[in-house]
Amino acid sequence: MVPSIGGSTSGRTPVLGLPRMHMEAGDRRDFLPGLIAAADRAGAREIVLEHGYGSGMSVDPGDYLAASPKVRFAVLEEVLASDVVTVIRCPDEPALRSMRPGATLVTMLHYATRPERTRSIADLGLRAISLDGVVDDLGRRLVEYLEAVGWNGVRLAFIEIARLHPRFAHPSRRPLRVTCLGAGAVAAHAVRAATRYGDPELRAELAANEVPGVEVTVADFDLTGHEDYLLRRLEVSDLLIDATQRADTTAPVVPNPLLAALPPDAVILDLSVDPYDFSVDPPRTKGIEGVPHGDLDRYIFPIDHPAWDELDRCVDTRQRRLALSCYAWPGIDPLDCMRVYGRQVESVLSVVLRRPAEDLDVESDDVIERAVARAEIGRWLS
Amino acid sequence: MTVASLGLPRMHKEAGERRDFLPDLVAGVADLGGSVVVERGIGRRIGYTDDDYLRAGPNVVVGSNEDAFEQDVVLVLRAPEERLCLMRPGATLVSMLHFPTRPQRVARLCELGLDAVSLDTLTDDIGHRLVVDGRDVAWNGLEAAFDVLEREWRYFLDPTRPPVRVTVLGAGAIGKDAVEAATKYGNLERAERLAGFPGVEVTTIGRNLTARDGYMKGRFAVTDVLVDATQRHDPSAPVVPNAWLAYLPEHAVVCDLVVDPYLLHEFPPTVRGIEGIPQGNLDRWTFAPDDPAWNTVPEEVDRSHRRWVVSCYSWPGVHPHACMELYGRQLAPLLRELVRVGGAEQLTRCGEFHERALWRASLRAWVGQHAALV
Repeated sequence: MVPSIGGSTSGRTPVLGLPRMHMEAGDRRDFLPGLIAAADRAGAREIVLEHGYGSGMSVDPGDYLAASPKVRFAVLEEVLASDVVTVIRCPDEPALRSMRPGATLVTMLHYATRPERTRSIADLGLRAISLDGVVDDLGRRLVEYLEAVGWNGVRLAFIEIARLHPRFAHPSRRPLRVTCLGAGAVAAHAVRAATRYGDPELRAELAANEVPGVEVTVADFDLTGHEDYLLRRLEVSDLLIDATQRADTTAPVVPNPLLAALPPDAVILDLSVDPYDFSVDPPRTKGIEGVPHGDLDRYIFPIDHPAWDELDRCVDTRQRRLALSCYAWPGIDPLDCMRVYGRQVESVLSVVLRRPAEDLDVESDDVIERAVARAEIGRWLS
Repeated sequence: MTVASLGLPRMHKEAGERRDFLPDLVAGVADLGGSVVVERGIGRRIGYTDDDYLRAGPNVVVGSNEDAFEQDVVLVLRAPEERLCLMRPGATLVSMLHFPTRPQRVARLCELGLDAVSLDTLTDDIGHRLVVDGRDVAWNGLEAAFDVLEREWRYFLDPTRPPVRVTVLGAGAIGKDAVEAATKYGNLERAERLAGFPGVEVTTIGRNLTARDGYMKGRFAVTDVLVDATQRHDPSAPVVPNAWLAYLPEHAVVCDLVVDPYLLHEFPPTVRGIEGIPQGNLDRWTFAPDDPAWNTVPEEVDRSHRRWVVSCYSWPGVHPHACMELYGRQLAPLLRELVRVGGAEQLTRCGEFHERALWRASLRAWVGQHAALV
């Protein structure tokens, strides 16, 4: 095994590299200067930012330089050559190959659902901490923003509903009806957001005008499996939310033909954002069959949007309603997202910059070290 | 730096209050070197003996209630109002102290020269509570409600019945947990047992609907379990006037997760979110429509319409062992830090993660920010 060059036991404090995310133009997220200052305090020897870092959110380069005298800007290759590389979404394969064996990658790696990538990272001799695997002693994720998944999606969905319903803001309309499929953590935020139109100010404004509010009904898997029930529910839904966590992603919760039961001006919101995958047999499908898979470049899909027709022919898309789907819902509001992630990642870096990844101890006295140690790639693979 | 001694008195509340901190938590701080004094009989009501605590470390001793209160740091879950005078000036009380809503308690702590850390105010850097059992408020409450429904509604175990319909008033933190708990009948074993039955349809409504008389009556007519998880701006007015209960089916169960008291003679007065229902505690939390407890509701309050009610001032305490296991795991690193630094007086706002959290939850931080209120 290649020894780690992160942490301090290698005889020198590590260099931290922060590359930008290059997946889609719409992903404007970079860590904010607050995290840079924290990394300085945590002992980074140097902090290397990719040229243009923060520009997607209009953060001035001077703000990063002011956060720490250890900051310098460099090209991507140089950033990736750092001892510890931190970025929210996992870099692509060529970028991973640019990293030095023994370096530590700190990012969302989703070991369980990306086994091939996980193996590949290990084969490259990289150490890794998966941010989505950093959990405390009670199993709670320390780096997550599920609240933004629920709120951002619901807020945008209600903007579309308001556009489609001419009487949306009229005091004489009936209460709006939302059906949420799933009752887990994302659903919990979605339910709360939906009772408030995803926007507390809009809610206050409508309430002041005595406009009836929103009734949110949650149906979990023991109801969604009953087709009669599901059809009756769909018939009265103004907004249908997929917040399911399916054990079997090869079968949809709502087969496409059932969408015919939705009112014509209903809106579909995909918060689960399970991808279609035709490379496996049987293929994997979304919870609501036929809905396009969105990202930060495009996440609103009217029924005539080309994305419906771009889907593999195996997917039934005949029944359509305006749909919203985004692979990275928190990224809709990048500043807010990175404020939250920055504070959460700060704790992770305070450990990773201090100790090599392979030395992290799940029995440590330090609760954060225990949490980070649980997310170390070697532990997962063993 | 001096390691503080720690005292763990028992709670002498209602007989049904069986919670004490577990030996595992004591073991987690006993190795720091300070003495740990536990009150004789601690844990007895959940199956532990004094010896279980003594085995947690060589510096653990069993003493009287007074002995436990005389240590540098005193840990007790519910605020020991009448026992505060036993504590030494400068000592630290760690408890559910609810500084924002208990100004008289804050003043009393200050008057006695005590320091304190309020468990309900302990949060991480982004405001998430670190010591909380909110999930069990919802799950234990819904479990109790479904226990009644299963027993009292003859169609509950009929596989051809329609889905059970639950209406949750309020979409805050407790409301969120209530939704998930309700979809599982408040109990995973029951959910497994009823697999294949039409499940539970849970409808959440916020205050932009709860104020609508016509809507609410229609909603109640199709509700099998009504859950109060509201956070009212104005606690002097109920969310559900007693008369609306008449629209619930006869078999319906009212599940009270908020458990506000009736305080009619305070200013402003406080009434319960669902008007007329009795308030329960760990001795009793299930009330039939003809239960004498309805007669304990103040006469000024309309209580003429009645349904089955489940209500408990301390829902997490219904399953005391699970509750204290959770609290213990949440509290262990914080208590360790507090004992290690020598008590609340030594905390600084710029320390490590747990020290920062303890500082924010300390009486001195609260008083510093709200001096005018104290």
